[in-house]
Amino acid sequence: MKRILLVVIASISLLMGCAAQNEPMTGHNEGMTEEHGHGDAKITQHFDDSLTKLTDNNLYSLELVIPNKNLMMGVNTVEIIVHHATGGDVAQGELTVTPWMPGMGHGVMEKPVITERGGGLYSVDNVIFSMTGHWQLQVKVSKDGKEDSTVFDFPEVKAMGHEHSMMKAPPPEDLDYSTMKMTAGDAFTVMYKSTSGKIRINRIHSWELTVKDAAGQPVNNAKITVVGDMPEHGHGLPTQPEVAKIGSGGLYRVDGMKFTMPGWWVVTVSIMANGIHDSVSFNLNLL
Amino acid sequence: MRNNYIRAIGFAVAISLLLLIANMTVPKTVLSMDQHTWSDQEKAILGSLWIGSLGSLPVDPSNKYSDNPKAAAFGRKLFFEDHFSGNMKVSCATCHREDYSFTDNLPLSHGMDTTPRRSMPLAGVAYNSWFFWDGRTDSLWSQALGPIESKLEHGISRTMSAYIISKYYREEYESLFGPIPEITEDKWPQEARPAQDDPNALKAWVLMTPEQRDAVNRIYVNMGKSIAAFVRTIVPQPSPFDHYVEQVQAADTTNPRMALTNDEVAGLRLFIGKAKCTNCHNGPMFTNSDFHNLGLPQNKKAASDEGRSTAITQVLSSEFNCLGKYSDAHPNECPELRFIDTSDKKYVGAFKTPTLRGVTDRPPYMHAGQFATVREVLEFYRSQAQNPELGHGDLTDKELNQLEAFLHTLSSPVTSLQAEVK
Repeated sequence: MKRILLVVIASISLLMGCAAQNEPMTGHNEGMTEEHGHGDAKITQHFDDSLTKLTDNNLYSLELVIPNKNLMMGVNTVEIIVHHATGGDVAQGELTVTPWMPGMGHGVMEKPVITERGGGLYSVDNVIFSMTGHWQLQVKVSKDGKEDSTVFDFPEVKAMGHEHSMMKAPPPEDLDYSTMKMTAGDAFTVMYKSTSGKIRINRIHSWELTVKDAAGQPVNNAKITVVGDMPEHGHGLPTQPEVAKIGSGGLYRVDGMKFTMPGWWVVTVSIMANGIHDSVSFNLNLL
Repeated sequence: MRNNYIRAIGFAVAISLLLLIANMTVPKTVLSMDQHTWSDQEKAILGSLWIGSLGSLPVDPSNKYSDNPKAAAFGRKLFFEDHFSGNMKVSCATCHREDYSFTDNLPLSHGMDTTPRRSMPLAGVAYNSWFFWDGRTDSLWSQALGPIESKLEHGISRTMSAYIISKYYREEYESLFGPIPEITEDKWPQEARPAQDDPNALKAWVLMTPEQRDAVNRIYVNMGKSIAAFVRTIVPQPSPFDHYVEQVQAADTTNPRMALTNDEVAGLRLFIGKAKCTNCHNGPMFTNSDFHNLGLPQNKKAASDEGRSTAITQVLSSEFNCLGKYSDAHPNECPELRFIDTSDKKYVGAFKTPTLRGVTDRPPYMHAGQFATVREVLEFYRSQAQNPELGHGDLTDKELNQLEAFLHTLSSPVTSLQAEVK
């Protein structure tokens, strides 16, 4: 419980970027700001396990936070807190982040997506490492015409599933396996059934969904997506299912469902209809 | 004499007492039951792994000749024919040896040259949805055509293959597929193919007329469909494990001659339980036919390998896929291709889960022969305990021995059902 509290406090302070500096916190190291001197330039650090660096010309102090502890092959998200090396947040700075493989002399086609969160915090989504091995993140900061950059080095990016903190708990004993549920925001009721009866692993099969609104009326104009996930393993369906409406009566057909492992699966049905977006997750235990 | 008599009575009484005590505490039947008693859920899992649940060979709607015995007999000849190679020495059987479970014993297979991967076993191959280690084809017939045009494997072209058919197998081919258009070496170039790795062969292919290319493709495809008709008949036979499942299902667990030893049964328990091997090695072929990156060490002799990641566009763009003009399937009969997961980044370095039937008979292991023995494979999995994809529990040395013992019980003769057909 205490750990959760720490994480919550840490996340809040992270979300606020440097705002926590104004009201110094005590007792929680994660929430504190530490400053290390580098001549005139200094590094500002909020988190114990983050990576910090001054840019090459000592203009900015960068703090790289990796929410999953380790970067891995595939799609990653990181957060970067940018300070002036003389102190103070860098708000509305221009940031570019480039994944690079120094040994191969290439990067990736897709660019990371950067969103400023305020207080000098920028979240960087869609950081793609297309293979295992030695990767770098080249970070360039530009603010009021002053540009500087540096490189964070990751000598050994491993394959999906390796040493990242995706180890999850086994299914709770009182897991709800019902096939009819309300969506999380109570906007719709959704019922599913497999059209071929008992669901067997390794078979492509179809589901039938019945979607009704809160008043019990069939929803016929929904845009639906279906995603499968294995919480214990951190991977999804081996297929990309397709959803099509069948006549009226709130009936939809999902083709291309396939499960390739026995155990606990979570299938999430997202529904967009009548201007409302809501979703529901069904638990399945497959033999 | 009398002393002996009394002694004998005393002995008998002592024995009876001992038996009585033994019966009261641990009845003998329970002792043997424990080892072979399985819960209903475990019995259901054993049943799902049992060869009897394999069912008859799955229909391949993309190949209307797949269950044609004449096509299979023809395909068998082509399978062993070494004319279809650049040095007249390589046939399908070079890397899929009949005396070695239809695979070979090399870490990296060798046809005309050394290939980047290990040869796959063929027993029960017809039950797959995707073929090759990376699943770059979606049918057995299109799989069979890949190696023929690979420089490292057979090293010839489809035009040369069509020529060989017309010259050496005309009668047999025509009785199955109809007349072959007139083929001479003068009319059609010998080395023409839609190659990415040979500009001259590609140019020769492009300079042919569309009708010529189609005629050659048809012959080439029919070769593949015939080879597939033969290869799909290569199936595993029941193994000691399967006999054991039958004993368990028949509640014949007090049989003094159980098909598995105590160690092997302990290994089976680990396999479906603590060690979680059935996460991927499930179903009667012991594979989920899915693609996984295990973080294996790279074979230093092989180039780096993207696996499934690059195969996705290959199978989608193949002229020989289930939706292509040479497939006999209705588009609705191609669900695997239609619902293929196109997230290529998810599959970097991922390879197909291979079958475990007969696994101990055919070292080395993994897609590039990284491990020489089953033991090394098990040790590798144990070393990956922190990987959620590979979490096999904290296995002791004894448990590793038991798992290894169990894997030996999946051995059985591999035969072709077609062998008797003349």
